Order: sequence, then structure tokens, then C-alpha cells
Amino acid sequence: MWRYLASRLVQIPLILVVVTMTIFVVVRSTPGDPVQIMLGMETSPDAVAAIRKEFRLDRPVAAQYVLWVGDLLQGNLGRSIRLNTPVTQLLTERFPVSLRLAAGAMLVALCISIPLGILAALYRNTWIDYLCTGYTVAGFAIPNFALAMILIYVFSIKLGWFPITGIGSGDAKTAFGVIGPYILPAMALGTLQTAVLTRLLRSSMIDVLMQDYVRTAHAKGLMPTSVVLVHALKNAMIPFVTMVAIQCGYLIGIQVTIEYIFAIPGMGSAVLSGVINRDFPVIQGFTLVIAAFFLFANLVADLLYGFLDPRIRY
Amino acid sequence: MAVILATDSGSLARDKAQTLRFASGARLAFRQFLRNPAATVGLVVLVLLCLAAIAAPWISPFGPIQIKLSAKLQPPSWAHLLGTDHFGRDVLSRLLYGARVSLSIGVLVVAFSMSFGVPIGMVAGFMRGHVDNVLMRLMDAFLTFPPLLLAVAIVGLLGPDLRNVMMAIGVVQIPVLARIVRASTLSAREETYVMAARALGASPLRIALRHILRNILSPIMVQVTIGFSAAIIAEASLSFLGLGTQPPNPSWGRDLAEARRYMADAPWLFLSPTATIMLAVLSINFVGDGLRDALDPRSWRTRARAATATE
Amino acid sequence: MALLTVRNLTTSFATDQGTIRAVNGVSFTLEPGEVLGLVGESGSGKSVTALSLMRLVREPPAKVEAELLDFEGTDLLRAPARTLRDIRGAGIAMIFQDPMRSLNPVLTIGRQLTEPLRRHMRMGAAAARHRAIELLEMVGIPMAETRLGSYPHQFSGGMRQRVMIAIALSCNPRLLIADEATTALDVTIQAQIVELVRRLTKNLGTAVIWISHDLGLVAGLCDRVNVMYAGRIVETGPVREVFYRPAHGYTIGLIGCTPRVDQVGTPLTPINGLPPNLMDEAPLCPFLPRCDVAIPACRQTRPALRNLPGGHAAVCLADLTSHHRGAH
Repeated sequence: MWRYLASRLVQIPLILVVVTMTIFVVVRSTPGDPVQIMLGMETSPDAVAAIRKEFRLDRPVAAQYVLWVGDLLQGNLGRSIRLNTPVTQLLTERFPVSLRLAAGAMLVALCISIPLGILAALYRNTWIDYLCTGYTVAGFAIPNFALAMILIYVFSIKLGWFPITGIGSGDAKTAFGVIGPYILPAMALGTLQTAVLTRLLRSSMIDVLMQDYVRTAHAKGLMPTSVVLVHALKNAMIPFVTMVAIQCGYLIGIQVTIEYIFAIPGMGSAVLSGVINRDFPVIQGFTLVIAAFFLFANLVADLLYGFLDPRIRY
Repeated sequence: MAVILATDSGSLARDKAQTLRFASGARLAFRQFLRNPAATVGLVVLVLLCLAAIAAPWISPFGPIQIKLSAKLQPPSWAHLLGTDHFGRDVLSRLLYGARVSLSIGVLVVAFSMSFGVPIGMVAGFMRGHVDNVLMRLMDAFLTFPPLLLAVAIVGLLGPDLRNVMMAIGVVQIPVLARIVRASTLSAREETYVMAARALGASPLRIALRHILRNILSPIMVQVTIGFSAAIIAEASLSFLGLGTQPPNPSWGRDLAEARRYMADAPWLFLSPTATIMLAVLSINFVGDGLRDALDPRSWRTRARAATATE
Repeated sequence: MALLTVRNLTTSFATDQGTIRAVNGVSFTLEPGEVLGLVGESGSGKSVTALSLMRLVREPPAKVEAELLDFEGTDLLRAPARTLRDIRGAGIAMIFQDPMRSLNPVLTIGRQLTEPLRRHMRMGAAAARHRAIELLEMVGIPMAETRLGSYPHQFSGGMRQRVMIAIALSCNPRLLIADEATTALDVTIQAQIVELVRRLTKNLGTAVIWISHDLGLVAGLCDRVNVMYAGRIVETGPVREVFYRPAHGYTIGLIGCTPRVDQVGTPLTPINGLPPNLMDEAPLCPFLPRCDVAIPACRQTRPALRNLPGGHAAVCLADLTSHHRGAH
């Protein structure tokens, strides 16, 4: 078990190296001089040269990378060229927001997918199943920002139930004021996850319900709720829970469109504005964290599998 | 314990002989595909969409960037079937031209990812050993890229032209495709007919191209449909963020972005592109599901056996 | 009064190609403490009969009908779901063929043992645990207390089946149905399990229905036997009568292809032909295409149940006394 963990933990930095190197190279392949673009055409060449030197852009790419890694190992991710604040500070501001949004989306996804998946499996090939499966099919086909607009139209504009903005503003007074602005974005962000998870739980449950041990449970005269929720679900949950962990890691990476619509100051919008402004340190630092989080979530997912299934012991 | 009920083996054998009489597996698969109503409808819709996109210059009532400020923000009517936007442009025409963008990006992305993913997967699966290891670790690394973020980075930094968009969206599909191809290659490699070919002295390249490729075709085709629909949504996302198709060129994602400001007064502006995207993606997904079922002979089970499984 | 009365049980499945009658007009009775064997080849309907009377078949697509399906005075056909659940596990218990697949892999066997105890006998957690340990010891599992926390995959095949037996007998059912309970086990383990079940059920006074395709097993174990073919009972009677004086072509065929220790070297005679099509409503005897002892009348009339001496009956037109062996 520990050996498995160790080998996975060794792999993670290696993968991160590949990821960060790629971003490094891509970022430095932009046409034109990024500093010039950023500072504008009127800036004096001396000022431009000075900035380039400060951000090490006059050195060869390989050297820049090595130096960046060196700084990273000391906990320093550089400064944002545009905002002149340490990247780590920006991260501490934005990461919790993204986490909250992801958690909200996952919560919505779980609340919907677990009952739907179970019902669709239990009432397989009836109208209930078709409804649930139809819902998942639609969920796969609609981009989350399109759904966000529909939700905004229905719940904010027409019904006035939920606010559209207000995350990170810090002047919320009530509990609803704090949570409220997260509701619509979480719902929109969670759509694809709901579709994926419902599908997965449904097919998992269908497989499990056909197993002999479910028949044994019925033969023992147990209550149907017990059979489904204990005997069947406990088995069906195993692949489901691991998928939840994987999706959590994935969520942070796809938030950018939702953050854009709802003006949420999270990780995705930081990368977006970093890209638009050619702000290398921000792009590099944020991508690193997002990728690391994703890898970590995958590791948790694998460990969970071993934890939940007594037949697997690493 | 499954209850095996005996059906008349004689009649079963007769059925089997009948199906084997069809000349090629492709015909068999196609018939099976047509038995799936969703898949067939999906295919029809997809073909119609492609035809509409190709024929856009001839069938769209107005030009996609034709501005007519006197007619702005009009709800759907007989003159403008899907209404007009804030510049007086006809929504339907924009959507038709937008289909050209979305569908061609889909094709390009699929071609791009296949041209890298298939060879990588085949090489990894065929050669195994160190080569396989290295290649798969590389693929793993690329799998950890949050796809949209990478696309944002590439297109945002390198410029919003078609080639960059294709690369940006396609790059993250390569590892998935490579994995699938590798898995199929691994199992196809062990098939007896491959060993027979090697025993007859066929060169590895010939084996690869003739035998294995035919075998891995079906999972590739299914993955291709998934990649195609993912590409459409990715392009829409990029255009939505302002990174993909640049205004005033039509694109479904761009239309959605511009519809934001007028959501309250002109809901048809965001509903139409949403519906179109969903239509395209759904039809492709149904076709993909149908392909998957049609190409897997194991799912052609006799219906009697399905009904007799006890609880 | 009989423990179980089955009259004209029919289980059919509706398919696109027609209706399949897996169980076709099966009737028998079972007295308390009696051991009944149910033999036949794969597909003869033995398992479906058992599952049908416990109402464990998925209905739909199956349809279970009978003139009478009575267990201890309860009409199993018309009883509400709640009553059926009370009977399952506590009145009628069942053990299945493959213990690895019949035990839940993610629950401890302690949990799976105490479940029926708490449900049917209303035991509290501590009492159920105590009883579970007793049960494990009863079926011969050493270190019972520590094994409560084990999972099924940590046991061997024979031990798993013992656990299943413990679970089945935990609430003192009046009827135990053993569906091919030993088929998936090694021969030596088979003997142990059979002996275990025989001993325990005798002590508890439980009636048993042994379902098997192994004639030798049934011969040594049961009081009476029903021979099934194509969803029907074709012969029934005390074990000695049926095996020494078989009265149906199929029974003779079955006996003929069973290896005998005292006839080493003699070739076995297989039964020719293929299993029957369960969709046909055979106007004549369903075994006719494969029967070696058919007489001309078989091609004209459908056989009815013919009573023979000694509580023996068969659905056969032929007089097969020439095929009888002497009593050994």
C-alpha cells in the first residue's frame, strides 16, 4: 500500500514537469514581444528592456525554466507582471473561491445524480428511466455557459430568486447573501458532472442489481430499501465515488466560462486575463496549481477505490 | 446463477446461418445501426446539418454579417425566422454560417487528433516495453491538462486562427485516442490470426496496417464521434470567451456571448444558438451510441436470453 | 397437513418469439422434515421451480401462475409482499450454487449473518452477534469470533458455502432449498457439505428440497425424488422405487449415463438429441424425440400421470419393467 503510494507520489512531480515545461514553451511562443504588448507602444525601449531583464526574459528559455523551478521550490512563484503582486498572493485569494464553486457544483451534482441514478436503475426501461436518461443526454449536449444563461434568465431575471453577482465582494450580510451568489454558477457548472455521474451510477447499479448476492439478499427476506441502499448501493458506489474524486479535480479546470459569465474572481478567470495580458508568471503559476490539484484528486480517487473495496489491498 | 433456458438449438442455428450469409460485416453493422431509432434520427439530422452548412451561401435568407439597424432586436417572424440581433442581422443566417465554422472545426480536430493519436497508440500497443511506457507516460502528462484551460492558453497566446484552434482543442484529445487505440492494439495483437500472419512471414508493418487497423476501427469510430461533439462545444466556449472566432464572423459561441447583454429583452438571441449546439451535439452523440452498439457483435444477443434472466 | 403444496405451477416468460414455459404444470407436495430431490438436466426447470415458489423470479418479464401454492397455510401466490418477505429467510431459506457470487463482497460475513437474525428474530446487535458465532461454529468454521469481521473473498469455496448454510439455517426455517449447492465445489468438499446439511437439517427437522443434476447425490440423500424434463415432472416417487424401477424413458436415460462404481469399464449411454424447445406446447410426450423406449402409442396419445405401486408415478405410456434392476 505504501509502496503504491510512494510510486504515485514520485510520478506526480514528473508529470508536472512536463505540464509546466509545455506551458512555459507555449507562453514564450507568442508572436510579438509580450512586454511591449503589455506596456503599450509608447513605453521607452529602456523601460521595456529593464522589465525584460527583471522578469528574466532576456535569458534562454531553458535557463528561465530552471530558475523558475528553483524559485518554486523555495515557495516563490514570481510576481504578476501586470498587477505587480506575488503570484502566491493571488493564488491564496483565488483558489478558495474556485474551491467553493467546485464544491457547490459537486454538491448539486451529487444531490441530483444519486437519486436519479438509483431510480433509473431500479425502474429500468420505464418512463422514469427514460426521463433520467434523457436528462443526462441533454446534460452532455449543452455547454455550461449556455445553461448558465438559461438559468440566469429564468431564476434571476424572470423570477428574481437568486443574484447573479456578488462573489468575493465581502459585503454580504446574511447567510443567503454569502451562499446565494454561488447557487446559479454551481448549478450551471455542475451540469456536465450530473450527467456523467447519473449515467455512471445507473449502469453501476444495473450491473450490481443483477448480481447473485442481491438475489440472496431478497431470499433472506430483507426489506427492499435495505437491499437497494445497503447491499446494492455499497457495491455500486465504488466506481461512483472514484469518479466523483476525478471530477472534482477536473472541475477547477473548466470553470473559466462560468467565472466569466458571473464575474467570479476564481482561478479560471485569472488564467484567462493572464493569457490576454501575456502575464507569464500568472499563467505558469496558476496552471501549475490547477494541474497539481487534478493529479492529487486522481490519486485520492485511486486510494479511495482501495479503501472502499475490501478485495483490493495494495 | 443464471438460468439457462434451452431454446431450440435447431432454429438458432438456422438464424445464425442466415445472418452469416451477408457478404460483409459492414453491411451487418449498418443494418444493426438502422434498428436503433435514436441513432438513425441522429444520422439524418447530422447529414441535414452538414448539408445546410455546406449550402449556407445559397439557402440562408440574408448575409450573416449584413447589418440592418432599422430591424434590430426583432423577435422571430416570417421575415426573420429566428429573429434579429442587436445589429439587425438575421439570426438564422448567422447560425447557418456558424454551422460551417463549428462543423469544419470538428472535422479538423478529429483529423488532427487521429493523425497523432492513432499512430502513437498503435506503436505503443504493438511494440510494448519501454517504448510503450514512455509514450503512455507522455500521454498521461497531457491528460492532466484541464482541456479548456490549455485551449485558452494556446489560442489566447498564439492567436485565434483556425490552425491554432484546431491544435488547441485537438491536443487534449490525442491522449484519450492513443489510449483507446493502444488497448485495442494490445488485444488485437494477441489474436491468433495475427500470430498466423507472422508465422507466414508477414512484416510487422504489413501486419499492423492490414490486420490490426481493421480491428481497432470500431473503438476509433466511437471515440471520433465523442471528440467531434467535444470539439464543437470547445469551439463554442473559446468563441464565447472572445478567443476563438473573432467578430463579426459568425460562430455559435460568439452569438451566445453577444446575446448576454440583451438576455432580458431578446431571449431568442441566446436560445437559438443553444438549441443549435444541442441539436448538433445530440445527433452526433446518438450516432456514436448507435455505432458502438452496432459494431459490437456481443450486443446482438437473442432477445429470449435477455428475458429469462432471473432476479 | 403438508408443509408445502404446489399444484399446477407454471412460470412463463414472454419473448418476441413466443412464450417460454420454463415451468409447465408442476405439482408436488412436501411433508414437514421430508427430503425431496429435484433432478433433471440443465434447462429442465428445476431452479426456476424453486425460485418461483419463493417468488424470487422477476415478474415481469416472468409470469407465475398456479392453482395452489401453499406454504404452511399461506397462499404464496396472493400473499402481500410483506408476508412474502417474512417467509423468505425464516420460513423458506435457500442456498445457491456459487457461494462466491452469492455473498456480498463488500459486507463482512458477520453483517450478512446477523442481518436475517435481526430482521426475522428481532434480535439486538449483541444477541445477534452471539448467535452468529454459534452458527459459524455449528457449520464447522474455526475461530468463529474473529471470522465475523472477515470478507467473503478471504474464505475458501467450501467455507463460503458453510457460511451460506449458516445464514440459511439461522432463523430455523421449515424448508431449505439447496439449488445445486455442491456443483461448484471440489468433490471432497462436496461430500463434507452434503453431510453437514444432512446432519443439521435432520437435527432441526427442516424439510429439504435438493436440486441437482447429480443422481448419485440425490439417491444417497433424499427420501423422494421428482424427475423433471422440459419444465414438467415426468416421474416422482420414493428414491429406491425411481432408481431401481424407473418408469419413464428419461429417468432410464439419466440412470444410463451416470457412472457407477460397480460397473467400471462399462460404457455410458448418453441420451441422444438436443434439449427441447420450451415454446412448443407439445401435443405428445415432450421426451419423444429422444426416447429410446418409446412405443407406437407414444406417437398418438399424450401420456398422463400413471400411478404405480409404492407411491410412485410417471407420465409415460410404456411399461418399462424390463428395464428394472434388482434391488441392491
